[in-house]
Amino acid sequence: MLLRCRIPLAHFELDIDVSFDARLASIFGPSGSGKTTLLDAIAGLRDITAGEIEIDGSTLFSSARGINRPPRERGIGYVPQEGALFPHLSVRKNILFGAGRSADISRSKKISVEHVLGVLEIGSLLDRPVTKLSGGEAQRVALARAILSQPRLLLLDEPLASLDIGLKEKILPYLARVRDEFKIPMIYVTHNLTEVLTLADWVLMIRQGRLVTQGVPKEALRSMHAIMQIPEEQFENVFTVTFVESDPEAGRTKVRLQAGRELFIPYLPRPRNNTIQIRISADDILVAIKPPEGISAGNILPGTVRRIDMIDGQAMVTVAAGDEFYARLTVSAVKRLGLVEKTPVFLIMKTRSFRSL
Amino acid sequence: MILSVETWQITLFSLSVGLASTLLILPFGIALAWLFARKEWPLKSVLETIVLLPLVMPPVSTGLILLKIFGRRSPVGQWLYERGVEIVFNWKGVLIAMAVMSFPLLVRSVRTSFSEVNPRFEQIATTLGASSLRIFFVITIPLAYKGIIAGALLAFSRALGEFGATILLAGNIPGKTQTLSLAIYSFVQLGKDSEAYTLLGITVALAFLFVWCSEWLLRSAKKA
Repeated sequence: MLLRCRIPLAHFELDIDVSFDARLASIFGPSGSGKTTLLDAIAGLRDITAGEIEIDGSTLFSSARGINRPPRERGIGYVPQEGALFPHLSVRKNILFGAGRSADISRSKKISVEHVLGVLEIGSLLDRPVTKLSGGEAQRVALARAILSQPRLLLLDEPLASLDIGLKEKILPYLARVRDEFKIPMIYVTHNLTEVLTLADWVLMIRQGRLVTQGVPKEALRSMHAIMQIPEEQFENVFTVTFVESDPEAGRTKVRLQAGRELFIPYLPRPRNNTIQIRISADDILVAIKPPEGISAGNILPGTVRRIDMIDGQAMVTVAAGDEFYARLTVSAVKRLGLVEKTPVFLIMKTRSFRSL
Repeated sequence: MILSVETWQITLFSLSVGLASTLLILPFGIALAWLFARKEWPLKSVLETIVLLPLVMPPVSTGLILLKIFGRRSPVGQWLYERGVEIVFNWKGVLIAMAVMSFPLLVRSVRTSFSEVNPRFEQIATTLGASSLRIFFVITIPLAYKGIIAGALLAFSRALGEFGATILLAGNIPGKTQTLSLAIYSFVQLGKDSEAYTLLGITVALAFLFVWCSEWLLRSAKKA
């Protein structure tokens, strides 16, 4: 996919020139950085001063060649932030609204209504008016509507932003299923780091209309520029783990990281070998230079400091302990412990500091 | 209350020509209101002003303009007359006067209801492959219909109350072009107060009913 566009905005100009190939690319950046504008431009809902948009080898827009395909011919499924379900139509009519288009877009495999209803678990909602849906249901219906228009690209604009935390955790797995089941490339706009780390295989960080950095999420987010942009509360470690054993009496579950190390997380009733994603904030990881004793934390992992990025009195310490962990410390803590690259350390993580998705 | 044949005739004539005028202007009003609400073009404000003129101009002036346009000595009137259509001093004159005078009210209120439809719905509908025509009839109109009906009711009430333009273009001919408003004026002139008050009662009742319905619709549209 090629995105090169210049769009004048109220206070700055959106100027992006990227080319990438991803299953789910995430556009990450603070509010007001031009993310929604970019999606609108891709969908053809906004004028572009100059540039080029190419998806799947077909050109949707090119100022040089005078191409500007109208939105209805672009074959792009757009789920805007507010969902924008047609309020006067039932769920059924909403999700079938774009289904008529499928004929004129050649796709090897057409996505069936049943398949979408099944994956998003909205089959029982069909005859409801959309005004009677909860926030999470409305988001799934909006997704279904976009998918059933058989798009070549799905655009999701902060689909979880309007939901409360509990609901977010419930919808996130649906997004992962959509990504894996339908094989439609997705562009996912968010200002939430967890969503990037959980869903995306490529990230574009933008700020004030400019690209800051791009790449595979874990690596791209490590750069200084990237760290500067991440909101305080959001720097998180996300890991894919498999279940080893659960002990409801002890209140904990043992899981195995991809590199083989084992961790304890709060009790979760899941079968052995089930895979999930867990996360822990970079602020919830303690670093020690001696093996700690007499401490309540359930996880103590030996590792080695790989790098230290310091900025504004904060230090982002990357530790290799099987997998890579990020711990955010103060610069004073780094100096007190004498941390440098290759210092052997122990990571201390409370069982209850882990969250699952 | 027992109404005389004459009163019935006047009321029915007013209602039916008023209804015809409203139905006549409805498609044009909706189309123009949509253009005003959704499209931009050079000198748009000039057209907007022209459409609103009959609302603020003295109705008699509008009537005089209409008389000049449709009178037999004008090219338009001449052309129509040659085809057997005469506007002036018959019910068609009443129709034209009502239509022109109520058009601005219709356009204004329908335009507002279109503006209140979030354009995001229409945009998303285009990304789903819908044509402009389908979007207009399946998304925009259904979302604005309460405002459209309210506008039509308002236009209808205005048509029933029309006086100045009608009397110039169609005259005040009992049994032929006499509407409720014209008849009240005539009865008062002739000293037939009781007839005038009967008609007055009818106009007040109708006006109340229409404005009340229209307001109720607009309120419920806002809530939705």
